[in-house]
Amino acid sequence: MSVDTDPFALFDLPRRHAASRDAIEQRYLELSRAAHPDNVVGEGTAARRAAVERASAVNAAYRVLRDPVLRAEALVKLGGIDLDSTDPERGAPHPTQAFLLEMIDLRERLDDGGPDGVAALRDDVEARCDAALDAAVDALDAGEFRRAAEHLVARRYFQRFLDETDSSAP
Amino acid sequence: MAYSNKVIDHYEHPRNVGSLDKGDASVGTGIVGAPACGDVMKLQIKVENGVITDAKFKTYGCGSAIASSSLVTEWVKGMSVDQAMQIKNSQIAEELSLPPVKIHCSVLAEDAIKAAIRDFQQKQGAPGSEGESKH
Repeated sequence: MSVDTDPFALFDLPRRHAASRDAIEQRYLELSRAAHPDNVVGEGTAARRAAVERASAVNAAYRVLRDPVLRAEALVKLGGIDLDSTDPERGAPHPTQAFLLEMIDLRERLDDGGPDGVAALRDDVEARCDAALDAAVDALDAGEFRRAAEHLVARRYFQRFLDETDSSAP
Repeated sequence: MAYSNKVIDHYEHPRNVGSLDKGDASVGTGIVGAPACGDVMKLQIKVENGVITDAKFKTYGCGSAIASSSLVTEWVKGMSVDQAMQIKNSQIAEELSLPPVKIHCSVLAEDAIKAAIRDFQQKQGAPGSEGESKH
């Protein structure tokens, strides 16, 4: 997602997390059709390039809107907090030391857990990952972007744990 | 994106992986995280007479984050606390030839060693860095 893009505006959707899947799909079809590079085949380089860029923006917005996590992160970004930035003011909020310790502790339990232990840990972290997104959505609905960002950062740590344990599975 | 040979070497053969006793007064522990990607890094130093005699780390993150912390634990052994405080992320990034998108991994390692030193200094009850080496 480029800096100035607002996927919600591009798709004429309200800036909130609850979204109709059908509305997103339908708008995507309309916009893709309108922006299709075939429409400008006979035109100049500038028009063709613009059409390609437009189609690419539509695809990027669609990718964000259809994914509940990316949608939440986009809303937080529109609220002034960029989770991909390390800027102390506008970047991702730092988790507490206690939370980071717990993330390390989770990995250490993973090392001496055995296969059953790993599955149980994964279930637990999966539930907390989902709960973090729910909490972020609640915060977004209340217009509290900072709180939403904190939950989304926690969610990224949980997600990271799940990705790691997934790829290390035999 | 290709990792440099040094990154791969540290990633495949990380130095000084492990833990030191967090409760030991001569051990400083730094725990830092990168919110953007979910990486976590724990770096510990053991200090005797103002000199870092041992260093251990545990990093859960990408190859560059692991390599950065592994490299720092190698570097700081034998350094004074003050010298270790001077380590800059740019030195780490340069040594490992980190690409721009991985610079934040070297920042994380710099933050971790500084956090470990601060933790050690707090345990010594001295806000300054020379609290225990004064005679």
